[in-house]
Amino acid sequence: MEGGPVRAGMQDQQQPPAKVVERLNSAVQQQLNLDSVKTRAISLFKAISRILEDFDSIARTNADPRWQDTLSQFSMVNLELFNIVEEIKNVSKAFVVHPKNVNAENAMVLPVMLSSKLLPEMEADDNAKREQLLQSMRGLPVAAQIEKLKTRIDMIGAACESAEKIIADARKAYFSTRQGPTVLPTIDKVQAAKIQEQENLLRSAVNHGEGLRILGEQRQVTSSLPVHLVDVFTANDGSQSFSDSSGMYQKNTPPLLSTTNNNSQGSLLQATGPQLIGRAAASPSGAAGSTTFDNTSASPLQYANSPRSGPNVMNTPSPQQQSQSQQQQQQLQQQQLQQQHQQRQKIMQLPPHQQQLLAQQQLRQSSMPGLGQMHGQHHVQFSQPLAAQQLQGRQLTSSAMHMGQNQLNQGIHLNRQLNQFSSPANSALFNAAQTTPTSQMIPNISAMMPSQSILPRIQFGMSAGNRTLPPQNLSDQMFNSGASNASGMMSIQQQHGTQGAFGNTPQSNQTLQQSGVQQQQRPQNQQ
Amino acid sequence: MECVVEGIIETQHVEALEILLQGLCGVHRDRLRIHELCLKSVPNLGLVASELRLLCDLEQSEPTWTVRHIGGAMKGAGAEQLSVLVRNMVESKVSKKALRLFYALGYKLDHELLRVGFAFNFHRGAQIRVAVSSVNKMLKLHATDEAVPLTPGIQLVEVTAPASSENYAEVAAAVSSFCEYLAPLLHLSKPGNSTGVVPTAAAAAASLMSDGGGTTL
Repeated sequence: MEGGPVRAGMQDQQQPPAKVVERLNSAVQQQLNLDSVKTRAISLFKAISRILEDFDSIARTNADPRWQDTLSQFSMVNLELFNIVEEIKNVSKAFVVHPKNVNAENAMVLPVMLSSKLLPEMEADDNAKREQLLQSMRGLPVAAQIEKLKTRIDMIGAACESAEKIIADARKAYFSTRQGPTVLPTIDKVQAAKIQEQENLLRSAVNHGEGLRILGEQRQVTSSLPVHLVDVFTANDGSQSFSDSSGMYQKNTPPLLSTTNNNSQGSLLQATGPQLIGRAAASPSGAAGSTTFDNTSASPLQYANSPRSGPNVMNTPSPQQQSQSQQQQQQLQQQQLQQQHQQRQKIMQLPPHQQQLLAQQQLRQSSMPGLGQMHGQHHVQFSQPLAAQQLQGRQLTSSAMHMGQNQLNQGIHLNRQLNQFSSPANSALFNAAQTTPTSQMIPNISAMMPSQSILPRIQFGMSAGNRTLPPQNLSDQMFNSGASNASGMMSIQQQHGTQGAFGNTPQSNQTLQQSGVQQQQRPQNQQ
Repeated sequence: MECVVEGIIETQHVEALEILLQGLCGVHRDRLRIHELCLKSVPNLGLVASELRLLCDLEQSEPTWTVRHIGGAMKGAGAEQLSVLVRNMVESKVSKKALRLFYALGYKLDHELLRVGFAFNFHRGAQIRVAVSSVNKMLKLHATDEAVPLTPGIQLVEVTAPASSENYAEVAAAVSSFCEYLAPLLHLSKPGNSTGVVPTAAAAAASLMSDGGGTTL
């Protein structure tokens, strides 16, 4: 507070010391109602002490403070204090209220407090500063000096005032935002509606999956899977997307017959009724990590023995057929046993009897490499016998034929041969299994075995593991060709998981058998 | 079982929320990047369709997989009085082969999403986990690198705490009392109920983001 004016005010009060009741300068009284200030100060004090008590009790009982209330109380107290201080500031010039009376304790100090003389050091300091200030104005007349000093004072005063104003404004703004209940910011209605809409979208997406489902057509696996999914999907065979098949299922559930499964890899089989059912049952197999399955699995369910998977074909031919095929196989056995090495490893995982069956099939497959070299010719040749055998919907697209993979051809070969062994009961299951052989599928296959002794086994995406073809291309081509199939029943089998797909019809076992024989002979003839 | 509440917060206030949570929880935040695949069983498998969620945590150096099954919520008058949702939940870590297994079992991919954000795990009356994440969708299947936020301006806040049938009441109380701390910034409610944003969020966020009192004035 300023020293000079205060002293005057104080003297006012002290001059009539005899009067018990001191009256304030009336001007001061108009400016500030001291009683009200006192009341307010007392109430403020009480509020603060109440808050402190609350905290005490909270601390004692280890309860959780209710922050909302506490913070609002604090802000109220803060505001009140601020207001009081503001008001007093206006009239603080009139008061020095402490100490008010001379008594023992302040008798010694009071002269020092009252003295206008500065302490010696302060005085020296002050003198030095005064010298400094007046140095520049030495030469001027006193009036000029006074003028200059006045302007200086005014400037400084103005600067101080503006600084104070800024601080006060900022403080008021700060206080206003902190006042919770009194100044409640509202959200603009339009914005609230938008937010509500977004919120509903988000909540339904997270809790129910709305808005996140991709339609069938878009369920195409991108060319590059994220890192964490690469391992998951492409265990053996680089084909993807059993998600596709799963997606397809979502979209196409009952009408497995429909050809609308344009999902890239997972062209669904179009099968006849029983085959359809069988396929439905087996579809999970397709989904189960057998990307191969999706890619390839257009094979109709009819043939449990679909050889598409080549070496790991679990399908076991019936005894009669088996014997016949064995004769044929023995001719081929000597050919490429080494190529079956990988497949054998998978077969090793099978139970013994299954292994035997697989071995037979593998031997059969060993003839495939020989066939494999005749891609284009295969195409032509295969189609002919197929037609002859009245197979429905069996088409070998050129893409399939041009696979140029042994496995593919082997698969086809096996398809033919194994077709003989299909039995209606298993065909449904089998169709689902027409994927490239993968070792992982073998256990599934055994589980799916019907009760018959020798039953075609379902192959779930068993892959020979040497696939190099891009499944997508194959599947697309496969599918399209399948779709265009006149018979419309069988969709093209895709790659055994990218191996050649055959629409195997369960019919005409004998004819198939013959065709198998024929085909086996064919390579020999051609060679 | 678990107790769960959900809420939303505008993306602009997420940083303030993080500061608040940091102060309340006292632990470091964990970054969150989870690829969630929701699998549903096909209709001809079993009487009731079942749903599973496979979560792949992409934040670790080696992606870790978890399978989670969310069951029905507790019903009844007592459940209605609780401000949190109590529901059955079973969770387990699995290997990366789980996806193939479930496909083999007959599950199909229903939808997938990617959560990116952060989470705090701490103990305050119960083991509580607060996860603030932006939910992203993938336009192409499994393309997690190309995910876009589903709702760019809004992020999801989930507060979950595992519970058992014996102690779910205490856990629920702990969760709801914790949620009171977050009241200036967001409202939390059971997953089925929508809350909207809180009008004081902006002010609260501003005060949280400020240097703590007078210095910014």
